[in-house]
Amino acid sequence: MHKLGRGHRDKVQQFMTITGASEKLALQALKASDWHLEGAFDFFYGQQSHIKSYTNTTHLEELYKRYKDPYTDMILVDGITLLCNDLQVDPQDIVMLVVSWHMKASTMCEYSKEEFFTGLQALGIDSLEKFRERIPFMRSELKDEQKFREIYNFAFGWAKEKGQKSLALDTAIGMWQLLFAEKQWPLVDHWCQFLQARHNKAISRDTWSQLLEFARTVDPALLNYDAEGAWPYLIDEFVEYLNENGIIQNGQFK
Amino acid sequence: MVLHKFGEKLYSGLVTTMTSHLKEISNSIEAAQGGLFLDELNRKWAEHNKALQMIRDILMYMDRTFIPNTHKTPVHELGLNLWRDVVIHFHAIQSRLQAILLENVRRERSGEVIDRGLMRSITKMLMDLGPSVYQDDFEKHFLEVSADFYRLESQEFIESCDCGEYLKKAERRLNEEIERVSHYLDTRSEVKITNVVETEMIESHMHRLVQMENSGLINMIVDEKFEDLGRMYCLFRQVSNGLVLIRDVMTSFIRDTGKQLLTDPERLKDPVDFVQHLLDLKDKYDKIITSAFRNDKTFQNALNSSFEYFINLNSRSPEFISLFVDDKLRKGLRGVTEEDVELVLDKVMMLFRYLQEKDVFEKYYKQHLAKRLLSGKSVSDDAERSLIVKLKTECGYQFTSKLEGMFTDMKTSQDTMQGFHASHGSDIGDGPMLSVQVLTTGSWPTQPITTCNLPAEILGICEKFRNYYLGTHTGRRLSWQTNMGTADLKATFGKGQKHELNVSTYQMCVLMLFNDADRLSYKEIEQVTEIPTSDLKRCLQSLACVKGKNVLRKEPMSKDIADTDTFLFNDKYTSKFFKVKIGTVAAQRESEPENQETRQRVEEDRKPQIEAAIVRIMKARRVLDHNNIVAEVTKQLQSRFLPNPVVIKKRIESLIEREFLERDKGDRKLYRYLA
Repeated sequence: MHKLGRGHRDKVQQFMTITGASEKLALQALKASDWHLEGAFDFFYGQQSHIKSYTNTTHLEELYKRYKDPYTDMILVDGITLLCNDLQVDPQDIVMLVVSWHMKASTMCEYSKEEFFTGLQALGIDSLEKFRERIPFMRSELKDEQKFREIYNFAFGWAKEKGQKSLALDTAIGMWQLLFAEKQWPLVDHWCQFLQARHNKAISRDTWSQLLEFARTVDPALLNYDAEGAWPYLIDEFVEYLNENGIIQNGQFK
Repeated sequence: MVLHKFGEKLYSGLVTTMTSHLKEISNSIEAAQGGLFLDELNRKWAEHNKALQMIRDILMYMDRTFIPNTHKTPVHELGLNLWRDVVIHFHAIQSRLQAILLENVRRERSGEVIDRGLMRSITKMLMDLGPSVYQDDFEKHFLEVSADFYRLESQEFIESCDCGEYLKKAERRLNEEIERVSHYLDTRSEVKITNVVETEMIESHMHRLVQMENSGLINMIVDEKFEDLGRMYCLFRQVSNGLVLIRDVMTSFIRDTGKQLLTDPERLKDPVDFVQHLLDLKDKYDKIITSAFRNDKTFQNALNSSFEYFINLNSRSPEFISLFVDDKLRKGLRGVTEEDVELVLDKVMMLFRYLQEKDVFEKYYKQHLAKRLLSGKSVSDDAERSLIVKLKTECGYQFTSKLEGMFTDMKTSQDTMQGFHASHGSDIGDGPMLSVQVLTTGSWPTQPITTCNLPAEILGICEKFRNYYLGTHTGRRLSWQTNMGTADLKATFGKGQKHELNVSTYQMCVLMLFNDADRLSYKEIEQVTEIPTSDLKRCLQSLACVKGKNVLRKEPMSKDIADTDTFLFNDKYTSKFFKVKIGTVAAQRESEPENQETRQRVEEDRKPQIEAAIVRIMKARRVLDHNNIVAEVTKQLQSRFLPNPVVIKKRIESLIEREFLERDKGDRKLYRYLA
């Protein structure tokens, strides 16, 4: 590291912090991309996708056996709790959502065998140790805009009840609190309050996905909110609510 | 001389001679005093013309050979030009001529008689002298002076006359000018002078005239001064924006009047009267437009749009129009000729067309029609059907198919009853006479099913009918609509006076109880009949609290029905009529809560219509953006109602939810149809 110039050293540091990679990997990636951080990220993540061929199926089986439910061929709530303990991660931690996303899990609080295998292989995990190592990487994925959107939209289907079209309001609010803690949307609390006061019904998929767009593109003071923008009516009502209650006044967000 | 090549000399000699001769003439004309000036000029002109003719004849050879070859002015023309240049444009003569001509006109305008023949000759002379002589020497100044004259006069008039008088004066002046032109001016001057008069007398003052207090346009309309209005129309038509002004002032007045009418709570208490007022208002303005405004289409359109505007200001308009129709079809059209019936119905249709919320009208119309049919209270079946046909023509088959279904049911029921009596006639004997109308659920306005315990005597015959009907029509379900029926009861009172009471089914159930008891408490009645509370209270109110119809007595004698009241048979009841109608079956203006309820149902009915429209549009277009969908939907539904864009949005989202549509991945405002 002492051979590197100041700028390069900073970049290595930054790279390691964001991706959780080792110094060696960081250097490798940055050199490959001519010291451009963006390129380095692409290189690094690209590398990761090659890794799944290195997972050992036997180990995976063992891992699965540890967590699966004694009576069904699935991992249920107890198994998941145990997994979280092993990983030293809170079950409410958002990283578990990312894990579920990799697994393409169909519903929360349970993993099928196939889902478990798909997910872990995609991440190149066949042991607890490797699993633990991958956690920083998974956290970093939330910072990537495209991936965050995928994870966010995935969350709707995953969090809702099987067989229901819409997401129960309480669950939705919980998910939003979790997701927007990562994304930092200043209006999230008002949004949840508004829903509880005025809406009190389940959330449709369209409203769910459009809310992310709203949070991404419209500024908190609503200066660039377009009433003709074909936003779902619930969002239009939210804007009205903000104006009525003086939360947004004269283009100022209080 | 020409032949001998002395043409040039001849010609120039002519010019010289004529010029000097004319100079002399000028002098003599100038010398003429005062009034004789024109006369002298005229005479000398006539002489000159004659002379010219002769000269031309004499010099004809030169005219035909020498002059064309040398491109000189022909003799006759030369003579005219010289006259013009030497005489007319001789400065002393020129200015005097102009002044005298204009003075004559002025004198004539103030009422003096002038020598029109002489004027005619002079102006003709000017016209003969060349295209611009008349204009430059006379017409231009004539127009200027006239403008000043009329400017002054109009100012005078407007201060001293009211609008009607002023317009009369203006019209008179216009006619005078036209006459003047025909007598002694060039016909082409007509349009120019009339323009001047119109500009000075009408255009400059038109706003003031229209707005004039106590005599302006509005007053004329209110007082129906057709002649004055007609005059104003004709005069204002000649100036730019004249008619626009009249139209605008009239339109805003109509709108205000209409708006007042529609927001006046007093007026709104009686719907039939209210609608009649609307019709009267329309008649009044129609008359004005036909008799005074020459049936001008733009005025008709303005009237129509004003009506459309204010009729829809009140959300109860559809209900009221239906109540008006109901009143007419119930009694208003009794004894009226077929032609007049058609007239009234056509007027109703005219109002109907103005309505934005035609679906609300349909709902009320259905309700009111149902009541009319079931109580047999329609004045004329033909009139009813005629109106249905008109509605069908206006709105299409869908609008009226259910209404027609109602008529069919009535007819079918008649046949059914005949069949019933034929087969069971002997069974009935002394028992109550039953008459049933079987209604097809889809066609009639939906009613909630209510409880009501029919008296035993009635139940018996009802069962007989049910069995008979289901015997011939399998797979159907019959339910008695106790809230829609009527009954005729024969009642005997204290001193033996008999009356026939026409009551509702509910009232019949209550009254029959008094065959076995003289007094009953409210609670007892409620328990036995099981009629819903609000209906029971209303029914008891009309039996006990209405003067002339109080076949029951109530203790205490308060106006409203309380749970603790007691009811007694009113032995002392009297009426001068044998048949007494007590039932509350006539259609009435809804109370506020009822109105809210109907509104709710209308809104609910609109949702599927909006969705159907969205699906139709998207199926055809495949991909369309939000604003265009809203516009198309509005267009498609406008013959029934005006959809709310927020509601349309909600329906779109519902359709997205149900996977009929999806948002485009890239552009949020774009929707795609999912097959």
